[in-house]
Amino acid sequence: MSTRLIPLIIERDVRVLFSDAFLVAIMFANFAIDLFVTAATFGRLVTGQGANYFLFIAPGSNLITAMVAAFQSGRDVWREKYIKDLTSYLLTLPVQRPVLAFSRVLGGVVRSVIATFPGTLVICYLYGILFTSKVLVAYLTVGLFSLGIVGLSMAVSAFSSSIEMWVTIRSVIQLYLSFLSTLFYSVSVFPSILAPIVSSNPMTWAIQAFRQLSPISFAQVPAGDSLGSISILAGPSLAFALLGTICYIWYAKL
Amino acid sequence: MSSLPTLASDLSSPPLAKESSTRLVFQMALRDVSVLFRTPWIIITRGLAFVIQLFVFAYLISGLIHVPGLNFFQYYAVGSVVATIASISFVIGYDIFEEAEEGVLDYLLTLPISRRQFIIGRALGGALRAIIYIIPMFLVVAFIEGFAQPLSIISALLSLFLLAFGVTGMSITVAVSVKSANRFDVVLALLELAVSRGSTALYPIAFMPLYVSIFAPFSPVSFAADSARASLVGFSLDLPAIAGLVAFVVIFLGLGAAFYFRRLEGGIYS
Repeated sequence: MSTRLIPLIIERDVRVLFSDAFLVAIMFANFAIDLFVTAATFGRLVTGQGANYFLFIAPGSNLITAMVAAFQSGRDVWREKYIKDLTSYLLTLPVQRPVLAFSRVLGGVVRSVIATFPGTLVICYLYGILFTSKVLVAYLTVGLFSLGIVGLSMAVSAFSSSIEMWVTIRSVIQLYLSFLSTLFYSVSVFPSILAPIVSSNPMTWAIQAFRQLSPISFAQVPAGDSLGSISILAGPSLAFALLGTICYIWYAKL
Repeated sequence: MSSLPTLASDLSSPPLAKESSTRLVFQMALRDVSVLFRTPWIIITRGLAFVIQLFVFAYLISGLIHVPGLNFFQYYAVGSVVATIASISFVIGYDIFEEAEEGVLDYLLTLPISRRQFIIGRALGGALRAIIYIIPMFLVVAFIEGFAQPLSIISALLSLFLLAFGVTGMSITVAVSVKSANRFDVVLALLELAVSRGSTALYPIAFMPLYVSIFAPFSPVSFAADSARASLVGFSLDLPAIAGLVAFVVIFLGLGAAFYFRRLEGGIYS
């Protein structure tokens, strides 16, 4: 059964990530700068939000790292085709093509969760939930968010003929995820015309799920179970993962 | 053969006598300017990032910041121009790295120009194109904030040019020191993040945590941001910041040139 090979394909992707552990270290350094420089400074600047603004935006640093790691998977897929010419080899593997494609998406998710593993622990520590079962919910949130972004990045890889185009589309998506979401502010501060765009942003639901894990009740964050936000996040994430799988199959001309 | 230092020295003698060295350096710089403007993707992303950061992020977050005496939107507007010029100046490193990977460097080395002129031309080109690229954004900010004093504007642009020159040198240093494409990409991104976020471009030093505020005044982006703000808002010259910028330019231009020269000539200096 080709499904038996899924873990092997995922393992290959993880090995590719760790072929240069330096990259993982740099991702953590990026997270540290985002959290302990930018978020810490804005935490001192922004007042009157009813809660510590640093803690409000802290999960954003981790989700941005997850986003970067997830896009790295798409970039690797792009390099396999245009730089390393590995696609033909991958097609010779004894695995059904849709299974291969979805395994690549899952491999990206695992890589992203590994890259953000220490960051997620830091956020859980800051939220005081490090030694509770909520840690698992935090990792579930990161994994689900990454699932969508890996799917998106693979879809981008399918349609980008040059690395410049790929980098540009990635940057536009990153701008959308970072600045047109509730990462820095609540949805109520946006002009009403932008509200639907913000509400449909996966980052909005991922960060809300994180904030709802905290024992602190943030102003503008609806009280409730993180699982509600996670179930909403699952919609776009699964859709993007499916898109990524289909595009990977199409892109590899399977 | 074309990379032999002796040949390089020969190239700058009689046949080139007609062409002044300044003209050759300038031609080299103009090539880099046209390379950037033939890459619409980079212009689109950096431009879009500036617009969204200023008109979405800065506008919205300013409504949440209530610090007496601080107009955060104005503060961030000037800072975002400084951060953008630093970001665009880093792009020269990507160009140099790609040229080496794709074999274009070999062609460039056959050009009838001495190595010294070649390197100075590259650094100047990196800075020139960054300042040309930033001018529309600078004008937007000047219009919004009502900066109209010509001397202040010239002084601020000079600070930005110095920053661009130094960052170009820094970027060239990294481009010729890191071998792996993946590593180069992330190291440059980290460096860009560190010098911009750990600076006074985007937020005042008084609000930074202690461990950041110790280093932030020495970031080249801080020098440029402080100097530009002093010119535009305070109508004065921040001489220590300008001195810091000049030192940054001298150090990294020297390092960039030395590393680039070493890469081109295999460690033999002429």
